[in-house]
Amino acid sequence: MSVPEQSLITEEHRATIGRKSDPVTVVISEEDAHRMRDVLGDKDARYADGTGMAPPYVIAGMGGGPRRGMPQILPGGLLTQQEWKFTRPFKIGEELTAFTQVFDIRDRLGGRYGYSVLVTQGTEYFDAAGNHVASAMITITQFDPKSQRKGDE
Amino acid sequence: MSQLYYDDVKVDDEIEPLERTPTTDMAIDFFGRDNPTNPAFSDIEAGKRLGVGGALVPGLLKLSWITQYVSDWAGEQGHVRNLRAAYRRPDVADRPLILTGRVVDKRVEEGKNIVELEVATIAEGQPSTRANVQVELPARG
Repeated sequence: MSVPEQSLITEEHRATIGRKSDPVTVVISEEDAHRMRDVLGDKDARYADGTGMAPPYVIAGMGGGPRRGMPQILPGGLLTQQEWKFTRPFKIGEELTAFTQVFDIRDRLGGRYGYSVLVTQGTEYFDAAGNHVASAMITITQFDPKSQRKGDE
Repeated sequence: MSQLYYDDVKVDDEIEPLERTPTTDMAIDFFGRDNPTNPAFSDIEAGKRLGVGGALVPGLLKLSWITQYVSDWAGEQGHVRNLRAAYRRPDVADRPLILTGRVVDKRVEEGKNIVELEVATIAEGQPSTRANVQVELPARG
């Protein structure tokens, strides 16, 4: 696909900006925390089995995360920016409620794909008392792989 | 793991570099073999179709390593509060990454001792990820 004559971002896509998703419940699982610690080789005693605490990076595997429901405007996608914020540590077994929303959708001209679309979406996680626990935000660069510049393969 | 104190940190202090080599197995195991992930994390051809040149290293895996790297530097009483990463270039599995970090600011915010670092993953001599990380440290005494 060459550079389109007009933006591929429709009014329907724009209407998703700022619209909060239905809540999704996620549970911090000991199994996930253990597996992720093992892969990273993390020996931090704070997060060892039986402490009841999970390392902050378990947010990477949480369901209901910021990719959920993202508008798909072009077929390819690469994660280009990401932010994590932690208000307090995660506890094993705790149930969190996640809300996701699109923050921004914009066109980009240039780069290896000629035309791409940047979608920024974020998820906020709250505990049972309604207190903020963490948030995750991502920007995905969407592109058509067929329009990649020659020599970049 | 030794404990670092806010009082002892200086701007321009550097964290000792650390080498990590991501593999396709790590990429899959990190998220769990039963969970759906991007095929390009384990399939070299799918990575090539994205223009990556091999199996793609998940950004989430790199950001998790960065979290662990800073957390280990800070010690058990330190807490990583915020990470903001820009993925400058895709990384390919089985190629080593060097994590580096440098203190760029320290300040007290709402009674908390905040140290800010610039952290990067370096692949083949070029930064592939640049991150700003805020960590809260205890004070001596």
